[in-house]
Amino acid sequence: MPGVSVVSRDWEEAVGDGHSLKEPLGTSSHEQRLHEPLRGWNAFSATFRVMFKEEGRKSIEFAKKRQIVLFPLLLTLVTAVTTIGLQFLVGDSTAQVSDLESKTFTWDELRFALHLPLLMFSLGMGTFAFMGHDAIVHRAGTKNYLLAAPALQPLPNSVAHFAYFVKDLCFYVMLILTPVVSGMALGILLESAANITTPLVWSSLPWTWLAMIITLAQGLAIAFFASALWMRGRPYTILGPAIIVALGIAIGLGKFDIGSMLWGLGVQNSQNPFTALLALAGSVGLGWLSSTLIIDDFDVSVVERKELFIPIYNRLGFLGRGEIRLIVAKEFVDLFRSGSLKKMTVSYAIPLLVLLGMAWLVDFAEAPIPINLLSYAPFLGFFGFNFYSWLTILDSPEFMNGLPLRVPQLIRAKVVVYFLATSWISLIFIILMAWRLDEWGALPTSIIVMFANSVYIVALTAFLMGLRPNRAIFDASIMIWFWIGTVVPLLLLFLLSFTQGDVSLYGNWWERASQDGLAATAAMYDQSMVEQGYKGMIAISVGLILASALLWKLMDRRWGKAEFSN
Amino acid sequence: MAKKYGDFIALHPLNVEVHAGEFFGVFGPNGAGKSTFIKLLTGQLRPSKGRIEVLGVDAVSDPQKVKANIGIVPESESPPSFLTPVEFLEFVAKLRSVDRIDDNVEHWIDWFGLDEKRDTMCKDLSKGQRQKVMLAAAFIHKPKLLFLDEPFANLDPIYQRKCRQWLLEHVKNGGTIFLCSHVLEMAERMCNRMAIINNGKVLAAGTVKGLKTSDEETLEDVFIRLVGRSIEDVERLSNEGVKDGETEEE
Repeated sequence: MPGVSVVSRDWEEAVGDGHSLKEPLGTSSHEQRLHEPLRGWNAFSATFRVMFKEEGRKSIEFAKKRQIVLFPLLLTLVTAVTTIGLQFLVGDSTAQVSDLESKTFTWDELRFALHLPLLMFSLGMGTFAFMGHDAIVHRAGTKNYLLAAPALQPLPNSVAHFAYFVKDLCFYVMLILTPVVSGMALGILLESAANITTPLVWSSLPWTWLAMIITLAQGLAIAFFASALWMRGRPYTILGPAIIVALGIAIGLGKFDIGSMLWGLGVQNSQNPFTALLALAGSVGLGWLSSTLIIDDFDVSVVERKELFIPIYNRLGFLGRGEIRLIVAKEFVDLFRSGSLKKMTVSYAIPLLVLLGMAWLVDFAEAPIPINLLSYAPFLGFFGFNFYSWLTILDSPEFMNGLPLRVPQLIRAKVVVYFLATSWISLIFIILMAWRLDEWGALPTSIIVMFANSVYIVALTAFLMGLRPNRAIFDASIMIWFWIGTVVPLLLLFLLSFTQGDVSLYGNWWERASQDGLAATAAMYDQSMVEQGYKGMIAISVGLILASALLWKLMDRRWGKAEFSN
Repeated sequence: MAKKYGDFIALHPLNVEVHAGEFFGVFGPNGAGKSTFIKLLTGQLRPSKGRIEVLGVDAVSDPQKVKANIGIVPESESPPSFLTPVEFLEFVAKLRSVDRIDDNVEHWIDWFGLDEKRDTMCKDLSKGQRQKVMLAAAFIHKPKLLFLDEPFANLDPIYQRKCRQWLLEHVKNGGTIFLCSHVLEMAERMCNRMAIINNGKVLAAGTVKGLKTSDEETLEDVFIRLVGRSIEDVERLSNEGVKDGETEEE
């Protein structure tokens, strides 16, 4: 019968949910041959190639072509220099005398130092389920990405996510790992060209490259898996963090050998092709498993909410009456409504809980490095980058282009939001630590060091990367400054912190370490070194606060003419 | 089918049956539930209650197959920002197993007058040009069934007319079109039948002529009457607006 029938009924009159009553409703394709959607490999290959192109364009858009090329070149150069310096680290240098060899690192320690940071990096970059959700939620905004394509196209969401995982893996291999191994090769080449001795051999390079790929893939896959589980809601949102904290504490206590958990390290040590294949397949397999956990859900829930903006705005009286207060209130509404506050708070609190758990169970007096309350304080600043990055992708800021606002104001507001949202966690953590370690005397200084660091790291990130920190990682000119700006002061604070604490128990590590290297043993209390170290830490913290203030001021010069875009 | 978010009913239970060869339009004020309606039918949303079948395929259990056999033009979605129009159409054509991809892409690029912008990333196109790319992506596999949500919102009058004619021809050749809009002019020009929807409920459905109570009544009058406003109410609101404006200027 031609025509249309459309009738509305009351809610109670409708029966069943979308999954019950399986009999056909009687529609047909009218003898039209229906197409089968692409599935499996065909869908993956059609998507992967275009996603790779998209990723390249995204990076170039932010960093410009020159900087994208410069970044791997810089990595190659740094690795080449490090390769030449390896002889001093492993004690192969002819310049070294035998009694100093105890100070050198073993190859096992160096390999571990290569793989652990790589794993940490990839864990931070692999939360693809969160990225996919954001892409789908924001697909009606001004920017749209292929990750959101399954909403309209006959492409399973799981395939799009898996293609994204493989694409990111390939991208990092191309822009990070290959330049690193090329740098090693350059170092070896210099051996013949400039008569320099390097302890590396050509045959180890393919294995190093493959092992690093495995570690990278493993980290990306684990983070992907965790984020995919998180997106499925309870009980995973509770179980997941609890397992991570327990695992972290177990590793800290030595119950688990972290080396055995680094598959890439195992491959590099064994150089067994079968193990390599198994580890690589395991990592990619975990990525694939994670993608199957992603469901075809494009629902952007429409829920009525109580007024939040004005209540939050009223509570921010201490920010004055200017625009910053308005933007901070808006950012907090975004933070609450997007559900990101929970995600961010958990990810910020997990490493702190691991440290706290370890402090609970370990007697640090037995540790070779005298960790004390002041050692934890600078550590907290490290999380600032991730938290700030998340804050920049909560919402598209393009609408602000039509308002009497400027980009530096939004950047400053995000720094304020970061500080207000996380400082209470850091404060609770440091107080609990002071209680656990019974170092109440060091608490005021620790609080100063902690806040100075947190504010400085985020101010530096915001100043250098603006509203797009996620795209700045391949920009060589930015990353050089970021590296210098963070590593130098944080390293100084860490080292100086070892001069503090209960020195009567584990002595002056810095002094001993400078004499005996890693073979340092406990020594007697040195009052003058403690005082110098203390003054040094305070001076650096004051310096960081002043640097933050300067960056705050310079924000206008750097971002004053920029347009609102993330 | 029906859709609920918490306590909020976005779409009240609705039985809808559209036959092949129809140009069917759903009209309603902003926030009436038109886009929810179209998203449910195209497998973008799962119904809270009920069942949906399109071309004999269950849209809840196999949304991919539904999407493979229909064309969708969403209300506000843009093509991927960092691809060019050509690249996006190639991607869509591959996913939809279109034959002679190059020829088809060229045809639609040319048809929509996008030749000069073929190598420009979509983020740098105007709203109207992005809309053309989305329309081309919905047409490229020549689907018999098209779902269009405010398809001409950003198009200039020339391309509005060109698209209208193409769609009418498509229906004449046996195609079916399901259109959502609040532009009533489109109903009069294009639709065989239409429904008026408000607050997630269908208020009336039928032919354009059948919905009018008299020859004098315009479709706008029908719309105002059905969504629960009296003509006097709307006129009073319009007059208040004018008065407010005058006061401000004074």
